[in-house]
Amino acid sequence: MGIFSKEGQIQKSQADLLYDIQLRKESRFRTNVGISWFVLLFILVIIFSGQEFRIGSMYFSGIKIDTEFMVNNLAYISRGLGETIRISLLSICLATVLALLAALGRLSTFPPVYALSTFYVSLIRGTPLYLQIFFFFLALPQLGIILPGFVAGVIALGLNYGAYMSEIFRAGLSSVDKGQREAAIAIGMTPTQTMRRVVLPQALRFAIPPVGNEFIAMTKDSALVSATGFVHELMWRATKVGRAQFHNLEALIMAAIFYWIMTLLLTYIQSRIEARLAKGER
Amino acid sequence: MDNSSIITSSPIVKISNLDKYFGRLHVLKNINLEVPERQVVCLIGRSGSGKSTLLRCINFLEEPSHGNIEVDGIKVEGGEKGKQHRQLIHEVRLKTGMVFQEFNLFPHMSVLENVIEGPVTVKNMDRKKAVELAEQNLDRVGLLFKKDEYPNRLSGGQKQRVAIARALTMEPRVMLFDEPTSALDPELIGEVLNVMKKVAMEGMTMIVVTHEMGFAREVADRVLVMAEGELVEDGEPEQIFTAPKDPRTEALIIRYRAGGG
Repeated sequence: MGIFSKEGQIQKSQADLLYDIQLRKESRFRTNVGISWFVLLFILVIIFSGQEFRIGSMYFSGIKIDTEFMVNNLAYISRGLGETIRISLLSICLATVLALLAALGRLSTFPPVYALSTFYVSLIRGTPLYLQIFFFFLALPQLGIILPGFVAGVIALGLNYGAYMSEIFRAGLSSVDKGQREAAIAIGMTPTQTMRRVVLPQALRFAIPPVGNEFIAMTKDSALVSATGFVHELMWRATKVGRAQFHNLEALIMAAIFYWIMTLLLTYIQSRIEARLAKGER
Repeated sequence: MDNSSIITSSPIVKISNLDKYFGRLHVLKNINLEVPERQVVCLIGRSGSGKSTLLRCINFLEEPSHGNIEVDGIKVEGGEKGKQHRQLIHEVRLKTGMVFQEFNLFPHMSVLENVIEGPVTVKNMDRKKAVELAEQNLDRVGLLFKKDEYPNRLSGGQKQRVAIARALTMEPRVMLFDEPTSALDPELIGEVLNVMKKVAMEGMTMIVVTHEMGFAREVADRVLVMAEGELVEDGEPEQIFTAPKDPRTEALIIRYRAGGG
């Protein structure tokens, strides 16, 4: 078909016209989703506003929350943000290193190394994270190893996420075509050079988006470290003031808002990184 | 070029009593072959006949089960283990350049980086010198102007020509081509064959596994025919294509004349 004209009007091909329709459809969808989000958020705010109102014969009463308590404790709880971020960052670094080692171990043809890698992953994935945190904090002192809550938390989170993330790296490594290894070997590269120069760069690029997901998940799981009682991050602070003044509802809502905002920010950053990776050469 | 196969010099590649098994499958059966310097050998045969496996045994991408391979004086026994064995294989790989059916360019490196990767990483060559050498070879394949592009921006034919330049930059004694045009669109095959022809003319020893009978007939000094893991015929192209001795060769030639793959 191609271009058809209507007596001197601007010509648009059929493809252009169809594409315009498609774009309009997509943007309308996005707008409507945005509006719905706002409505849902609005409803949530109404529910917690304590307002009383009636629709017809139905009578509604919102949940009353103590805003004064929230304002008074905002500064105290928000001071936990830094600690939450610090735990998450350190843990993700530890987890990345462990995951990479475990994934490489999984490729090893040397039985003890392969066994160590699978053993680690199986043990960690077979036990709860909550237990692991307590193990490092409460059980190790019995053996004379006393770790501060922060350190125990980072080790437990790092070990735990390392085990799960090793699957990501393993998938990344196996996503690299066999021909890539062969080409590297054929020009005389040693196995180490092949891994470092050819396979890993391609595997890591594959692994970046899922590692982002893990980081977001870990930011939330860092709340479990509050259970040690010695790490003053968001969750610990929220439960402390909440319990002391019997305002758990308000305190937890505040913590939830902080976590949610952090997650939204991280998700946004991650989508930007992904977009950039998709644009770059492959 | 017709009489170059008559010239007898010490072989660059010598394969003796080579056997290869994949599990219980006997894919190469007692292969013996000598390829002298500057000879261009085309290895033809139906798919599954073992020709790619034979080629891949020469640089030990496949470890021979039995027998030995000698490349430019370096002799490696198949089926052995140990550090010395690995060192010998490494030396053999330095003397062989390989071009794959699927090109296998490194997608995270530019064309130039692809080509200098071997000399710099493997031979510890000075980067400046490697770039000089790489640019020479990219010029040889006619792609110097693409040196800063990434592989995903190249056509299949261009990718394969870069792969040839990458192999040449290691300055091998023999080039191994594993069905270099089989993954290409028909209109891109010519440019790759032309580059290969040029490399042959410049005196490179070449072993080419191919289905391109036209190329075999025109460029090769010698054609080997494989069937069921054995070398069934070995001769000059004219003889193979006009008066095949083995019925399996004849079947192959007839299929080719009929336009089959």
